[in-house]
Amino acid sequence: MTSKPPAWRVSSSLVLMCALAVSPAAADVLPSHPFTMFGGRLVVGGLASVSVGSHDPGYFNYTDYEHDTLRLLRLAMRAAFSLGDRVSLLGELRTENWDTFQPYALYLRVRPWRGRAIDIQAGRIPPVFGAFSRRPYASDNFLIGLPLAYQYLTSLRADALPASADDLIRMRGRGWLSRFPIGSHAAAHGLPLVAAFRWDTGVEVRLGDDPVSLGAAVTTGTLSDPRVRDNNHGKQVSARLEVRPVVGLVLGVSAARGPFVARAASSALPPGVSARGLDQQAFGADAEYSRGYWLVRSEVLISRWRVPAVAPPLVTAPLDATSVFAEGRYRIRPGLYVAGRVDHLGFSDVTGTAGRESWDAPVTRVEVGGGYSVRRNVLVKVAFQHDSRDTRRYDAAAIVAAELSFWF
Amino acid sequence: MADAPIATPSVARRRPRRVRPSAAGVAAGLCGLLIAPAHSTARDAPGRAQDPAASGTIVGRVVVERPLPPIPRRPSVDDLGMPRPSDVPDRYRSVVYLETAPQGAFEQPPPGQAVMRQHNETFEPHVLAVTVGTVVAFPNLDHVYHNVFSLSKAARFDLGRYAAGRSKSVRMEHPGIVRVFCDIHSHMSAFILVFSHPFFAVTGPSGVYRLAGVPPGTYHVIAWNEGVASEPQPVTVRPGDQVTLDFVLR
Repeated sequence: MTSKPPAWRVSSSLVLMCALAVSPAAADVLPSHPFTMFGGRLVVGGLASVSVGSHDPGYFNYTDYEHDTLRLLRLAMRAAFSLGDRVSLLGELRTENWDTFQPYALYLRVRPWRGRAIDIQAGRIPPVFGAFSRRPYASDNFLIGLPLAYQYLTSLRADALPASADDLIRMRGRGWLSRFPIGSHAAAHGLPLVAAFRWDTGVEVRLGDDPVSLGAAVTTGTLSDPRVRDNNHGKQVSARLEVRPVVGLVLGVSAARGPFVARAASSALPPGVSARGLDQQAFGADAEYSRGYWLVRSEVLISRWRVPAVAPPLVTAPLDATSVFAEGRYRIRPGLYVAGRVDHLGFSDVTGTAGRESWDAPVTRVEVGGGYSVRRNVLVKVAFQHDSRDTRRYDAAAIVAAELSFWF
Repeated sequence: MADAPIATPSVARRRPRRVRPSAAGVAAGLCGLLIAPAHSTARDAPGRAQDPAASGTIVGRVVVERPLPPIPRRPSVDDLGMPRPSDVPDRYRSVVYLETAPQGAFEQPPPGQAVMRQHNETFEPHVLAVTVGTVVAFPNLDHVYHNVFSLSKAARFDLGRYAAGRSKSVRMEHPGIVRVFCDIHSHMSAFILVFSHPFFAVTGPSGVYRLAGVPPGTYHVIAWNEGVASEPQPVTVRPGDQVTLDFVLR
């Protein structure tokens, strides 16, 4: 649980992938299109990426205590099996840093009526909320780091709750390994606003396609804690409305609400304190515009968690987190682009014994970099990232990273 | 649909006018295929074939025996529903060309123009053969953005994103094979074969081709399909003659 990321494995994987990517024989070794089998019914694609980065002492880029997005090897196989022209089974097997391959996606997609743009998906499904949540992979991400809303770990946990505002303030800026008195007493990582790399389990419907589409889902977990197995008898409802008024412009709004506190924590609440209403609510708005060699995106996400008021100084108000980021990419010549992202994550205040303070430490991230396509489906990225956080320890980090990704 | 050879771009339809002294057939293939510069047999051929009676025709059929299924989309695991349907490119069309071309003092052919459309998330045609200097236009006929690009040595370009009704063009400056892709739709791909001589033809759907206006002489002819080239086949063309030459690509 607390082992460090196997940096040597990541580094050696990078060397191996580099050798494959640039060798003259690579064109014969690396597939350029997905494989098909069973007369085209089964389509199998793959994604591989390996990133290396300088030391991140403040755990700014961790998605849990063991996985740093800037020091990560990810291998994924994706498949779609067509069961007719209106039904297909889709899935993804993935490993990170040579962990066991696990099914990160597995669902059935059905289009009940031919000629009507209504799709139903059931199983471990892609999130409807937000825009970045469906493109977190290296081949879709301009840079190497992820937006804070989709990766940065707040101190909040689903299986352990703060009893007071002081408990929260004590854990400010320690989302990679936080600890609270109610529920699980083990130290563990906190929750991001939206978990980009784990998908929830449930059913979703999409109505329409272009220029207006509406997606809605009912899932077992929440945005911050997607789950395969239920841990609180609650369901999250999420929805997204997407509009494409003109070619190149995409506007979206999203909302979600669901109980996020696990039974391990709610059952440990003192008598008289109800676990009802301990929800995560989230609202999002996103925009993308592209033209010529430019592509710019921006997203605003607001997440609100309700935690119980157990002990003084009481946490009476919901815990809000607001994330805003804007990113852009410009292709300066064929195969070469530059990109940048400015990102901020802020938190609402609570009143502790020592005064008012934000319940978690605000973070600002600036990342600039670029990418070069060695081949159509082999991309090398380099980036410089600066993170700053309003805490006394590990308050800033300047990180240089590189990433090699390949897809087919 | 009539089984006629594709009307290759205007340059190919013209009668041959000029072949460079050191004309290479197709310069470099995607898999490292290199075709040697022209010498030998072409050196003895007369340089010009303005008169049909003074030139010959090579006809035949290219049979592609290996399976060429449609290029599939990447599994759309991230999507919230079925992807938009797209057309299926005809991958069985091949290109037949002279490996070596007649040598002589020929005038520079005027630059040609060709079109590769983007329609229903497919490049049309899937294979285009042009001469060096041809300007290839890429009109977008879809209601979504496309971003045509190529990282090939023969032509490295990126046309950026542009919407329906817009078109951008690229002048093919060097002979070789140009792989064309869309940066937004990974299942979209096409080939442009750029020749430094005009002696080539694109086959029809069933593989039939007609290479007219070939100056008398002995040549080696190659059939090419999706990166696979045949062994060069020798053929002797006499004035006014029609020679049949079939190929099988496995």
